[in-house]
Amino acid sequence: MPIVVDLPPPIREQAGGNSQVTVQGATVRAALTDLIAQHPALEAKLFDKGEIRPYINVFVNDEDIRFLDEMDTAIADGVTIALVPAVAGG
Amino acid sequence: MSTENPLERYSRQMRVPGIGKAGQQKIMASRVTLCGVGALGTVLANTLVRAGVGFLRVIDRDFVEPSNLQRQVLFDESDVTGNLPKAEAAAIKLRQINSTVTVEPVVADINRTNIEDLCKDADLILDGTDNFEIRYLINDVAIKQNKPWVYGGAVGTEGMTMTILPGETPCLQCVFEKSPGPGEVGTCETAGVLGPIVSLIASMQAAEALKILAGKTEAVNRELFLINLWDNTSRRMKIAPLKGRKGKCRCCAQRQFEWLEGEHGTQTTSLCGRNAVQVTQRRATSLSFPDLARQLETSGTVTANKFLLKFAVTDGGDPYEFTVFPDGRAIIKGTDDTDRARTLYAKYIGH
Repeated sequence: MPIVVDLPPPIREQAGGNSQVTVQGATVRAALTDLIAQHPALEAKLFDKGEIRPYINVFVNDEDIRFLDEMDTAIADGVTIALVPAVAGG
Repeated sequence: MSTENPLERYSRQMRVPGIGKAGQQKIMASRVTLCGVGALGTVLANTLVRAGVGFLRVIDRDFVEPSNLQRQVLFDESDVTGNLPKAEAAAIKLRQINSTVTVEPVVADINRTNIEDLCKDADLILDGTDNFEIRYLINDVAIKQNKPWVYGGAVGTEGMTMTILPGETPCLQCVFEKSPGPGEVGTCETAGVLGPIVSLIASMQAAEALKILAGKTEAVNRELFLINLWDNTSRRMKIAPLKGRKGKCRCCAQRQFEWLEGEHGTQTTSLCGRNAVQVTQRRATSLSFPDLARQLETSGTVTANKFLLKFAVTDGGDPYEFTVFPDGRAIIKGTDDTDRARTLYAKYIGH
């Protein structure tokens, strides 16, 4: 089972239009590093000076990493990492 | 319409086990403030008025435009030709739907100077807005006044909602410490918006509202719900552990209401999907439309009714359309650059 990163619509253009990307890594940080290696244009969208942008929430299997081990949260095959910015319109 | 038994029209709703007669009577005695009556807001207002809330205050700064009709279910073409403010147009329809509900339209920009008054007599605050500046203001007021509120957002084919019960669940700032800045994520203009995602998210918000108003907070959704109607995906994010963020949440843990206190927020707002900027005066004023019209007629085309004045002008070779409200607020169409809008405002309206 691969690790899957779910991308929100606003940043899919930087990932070749994909809504999901399969990655490898033992932590959230490693997985996102692999994501950016595959789609370098995502780096500026997701990171600012090496830190994930504060308006993007990161969930591992629907749990917020702020209550796990943040970017060091350990992950295994089969998990889904979801990147979730707030939805503004209405 | 008159019936001998005022509860009869709610008979189907009362048969829902969680509501019953007692819940219906609570709903009918309730007061709700709805912030924004556009896409989400018209669905929310429609549902709550049909459900029989006692009092609904609908607040919106905008007027009805042709591009609204695709998804803003209370409006029709006559509202566009009549240049009606959304709050007024909505109130007319809502009173036709259910004359037993007291509907109070407020044509105003919601900001830190008026939001506490607009919410202080409400049992519940509902989010029908299209921007995070107002949502953080609502969050501040809700926590400060200890009132529940329901967030909803929709862009493209995606939407999300969460319910905030002060003291019980995480607040908006617990979950979203920061909102996306201009250009960082899609807006209704760049990403578009599909009618059904708006209806769906607003309907979920309305269901939450009815649970709260009927006194059934145990049934309230405690998660962040996301759905994308094009991808056919939905998620329920477990946000309960974020409550207060171990004392770090500035709003609900530290009770520092930074949006209400004016530490955040601007005097100009780029409007979602409109190529337009709203410019608000720091202090509300009272404009004379006849005087302003005379002043502007030499520069462009002016039309006015008692609610708004429209002014079309070509400036620097580019066309702009001003919609000016009696309190001095203006929506300037033709730019999404807030500095340009400030300049145009100063040039034609003053200050």
